Amino acid sequence: MIPPVIDNLDYREQSPEVKDRFTKLKQRPVVLSVDNLGKTFPTPGGEVTALKGVDFEVFRREFMCVIGPSGCGKSTLIRILAGLEVETNGQVLLDGNPVAGPGPDRGMVFQSYTLFPWLTVKQNVMFGPKMEGKSGTSVEADARQWIDLVGLSQFENSYPHQLSGGMKQRVAIARALANRPRILLMDEPFGALDAQTRAQMQNYLLQIWRNLDITILFITHDLDEAVYLSDRILVLKADPGEVDEIIEVPVPHPRSLDQFITPEFVATKHRINQLIHPESESKEDVLPFPRMTAEGDDVE
Amino acid sequence: MSRSTTSPPPREPWFAVRRDLSAKRATVLTIISFALPLAIWAAVSYLPFLWHPDIRLQLSADREDVTTVYIAGDRVSKGFFPEFTEAVRAQNQAVEEQLKSEDPLGGISDSSVRRANKKILRHLSPILISNGIITEEQSKDDETIYKAWGDIATGAWVPKSPALTDENIEIVKRNWAVMSEVSPVYDSDNFISVPIISLIPQGKPSNPDYLPDPGQVFKSGAKAFTSPGEGDRPSMIQRVRHSIFIVFGGFLLAALVGVPIGVLCGTYAFFSKLIEPFTDFFRYMPAPTFSTLLVAIFLANDAPKIALVFVGTFFQLVLVVANTTRRLDLPLLEAAQTLGANQRQLLTHVVIPGILPNLYNDLRILLGWAWTWLVIAELVGVKSGLTEFIETQGRFRNFDMVFPIIILIGVIGFTTDQILALLRGVIFPYTEDGAAASANPLVKALMFIPRWFRQAVSERLPADLANHKSLSTKA
Ligand SMILES: Nc1ncnc2c1ncn2[C@@H]1O[C@H](COP(=O)(O)OP(=O)(O)OP(=O)(O)O)[C@@H](O)[C@H]1O
Ligand SMILES: [Mg+2]
Repeated sequence: MIPPVIDNLDYREQSPEVKDRFTKLKQRPVVLSVDNLGKTFPTPGGEVTALKGVDFEVFRREFMCVIGPSGCGKSTLIRILAGLEVETNGQVLLDGNPVAGPGPDRGMVFQSYTLFPWLTVKQNVMFGPKMEGKSGTSVEADARQWIDLVGLSQFENSYPHQLSGGMKQRVAIARALANRPRILLMDEPFGALDAQTRAQMQNYLLQIWRNLDITILFITHDLDEAVYLSDRILVLKADPGEVDEIIEVPVPHPRSLDQFITPEFVATKHRINQLIHPESESKEDVLPFPRMTAEGDDVE
Repeated sequence: MSRSTTSPPPREPWFAVRRDLSAKRATVLTIISFALPLAIWAAVSYLPFLWHPDIRLQLSADREDVTTVYIAGDRVSKGFFPEFTEAVRAQNQAVEEQLKSEDPLGGISDSSVRRANKKILRHLSPILISNGIITEEQSKDDETIYKAWGDIATGAWVPKSPALTDENIEIVKRNWAVMSEVSPVYDSDNFISVPIISLIPQGKPSNPDYLPDPGQVFKSGAKAFTSPGEGDRPSMIQRVRHSIFIVFGGFLLAALVGVPIGVLCGTYAFFSKLIEPFTDFFRYMPAPTFSTLLVAIFLANDAPKIALVFVGTFFQLVLVVANTTRRLDLPLLEAAQTLGANQRQLLTHVVIPGILPNLYNDLRILLGWAWTWLVIAELVGVKSGLTEFIETQGRFRNFDMVFPIIILIGVIGFTTDQILALLRGVIFPYTEDGAAASANPLVKALMFIPRWFRQAVSERLPADLANHKSLSTKA
């Protein structure tokens, strides 16, 4: 569990550099604007409201994480943004234009592995350009560059089944980026990876983000991941999925693993934890367990 | 520590729930799986104490009191055989007694006694044939047979395979004594006109004719395959080719029409709802029930036969392919859409390449399905191919001729399937089979096929089919 907040630091307190960073960030053009978004699913048992009145904006080259309890509508939100699901109310604007249907201007990386098994790594990365009708050596050179960028140049002619989970997701990122999308949508892309690979992937992603003109919207349910990666964190609450709070992460850039124990980091984590696990609910975490061992035979 | 070094390595169990065996054990079991049925067949065929409910006659034989005539090679049940031999002995006894009486011919004319005697003479010919004294064509060559009687009687020649029973040698001697008195060589006009006695039926325990032994089956099979065709009777190779043509013709037509329809049904709900319900209904109507109809439509020759294989395969194929198409991972289609694929590109660049390995497997299984229609198809209209041969030989109870053909059909189907299974890994190197196949040296040699295949595919699919941008901004 999260340790209690040290020094009573408020997550809203920002150092001058961080404050300056956010001022600049908000002066950048809005890439994605979500306006009063709502989604209900018709089910046999009646309508399920997955999202209600969701409003937020993502600025150019911002890294935003979406976090929330399971079933609060995170996937539904990102699928609407990608155009894979149609909203019930509200609208989504990309660079001020309403989006409808999927398109290469919004790259997506899924939690499940979605590389095309019949294509090699390079052919997977070239898939988007090929759909646009581009082919030839320039596309191939371009694809190689993206593969280099995710550190897999040795594997460009391998098939997906020859890659590890982390490598597959790196190819998926390269494949999405090869389309030069305005925004990269990621739905728990590292959810299926082990802790070590996951940490490595987070670092790769931060490096990519830093060096490219790319805006990222990233879904996670891992508090550390959210704080470590984001400029801002959109916290959703469940039933119905509504924006609870948009947190400006007070941890300065560039990010490093040492920052995990800084007061700002811990305070932010603590706040998110409060939001997604309210105090009243934590009682539910205690199982109604009767004693089943002998008196005195205790472990704590 | 010292204990673990001295104790033998733990033995792998032969039986463990859902666990693979080592490659060596798996191979051994595979070999046994074929060797065992063959061994059982051989044992039942060659070990007389195992089954052998019949006696296979080595001599021709008949009984005056009943009109049944047995020729060598016929089988009588073990229960009936003693009764049969006793009846013949009793008959001989009656002849001997008749000869001692005042009226040795029993009121029968000379010519009919001669005729009966000539018949007895020829009862020996099967023994002469199997001993190689005469050929099958000479079985009525009375001169040679007559001489053989003499040789046996005098001991100049002793039949070995099979030998005559002592009882029958005595009969030969007894008959020869009276026969040689009349004429030392065969003379049709001066043939003995007092009754001689019959040879006693002799035979060997055997299985019923519907279970020929492996050696016999092999011999008959070899004979069937080496004898050339004559006139309108095709050779076996021609029959095999014709049968393969019927099966593959029907199957390939069904695949050619059925695969596109199945893919469309699996891809678009529109086609699924339009086509599948009726297809589902139609496949419950057994294909053979259409055979007369197909002959009326397609007339004689091969067309109605191919049509029957088609009808038997097509409807199943559409449904199987539609299901395989539907099983394609939905996230792959979603990922392709976020990468800019339009509806048409989804079909050409995701659905089709995505289902190919499973489609290949489906078609492999359906080819096996098509084989099961072969016999019925070849009975439609004018009988043809391997089935015609089986039918004819089966009617004459030449089951030793029928077995090789049944086995051959199995072998053709099985080897085709095995080769196709092996090729799957070669054609689709990105599947699990592919990984296993690439380790196989035989497959390594065949690796030019996937390269050629991929090249052919990538050249065929044009890169630019539509502009995705118009789709994503317009809708
Ligand atoms: N196709 C659908 N039909 C009906 N209900 C759906 C559908 N998709 C999602 N839902 C419902 O919408 C709600 C939000 O689902 P969603 O998958 O977006 O949650 P999530 O936040 O991504 O959860 P998780 O953290 O487990 O991934 C859930 O209650 C879910 O049952
Ligand atoms: Mg989800």
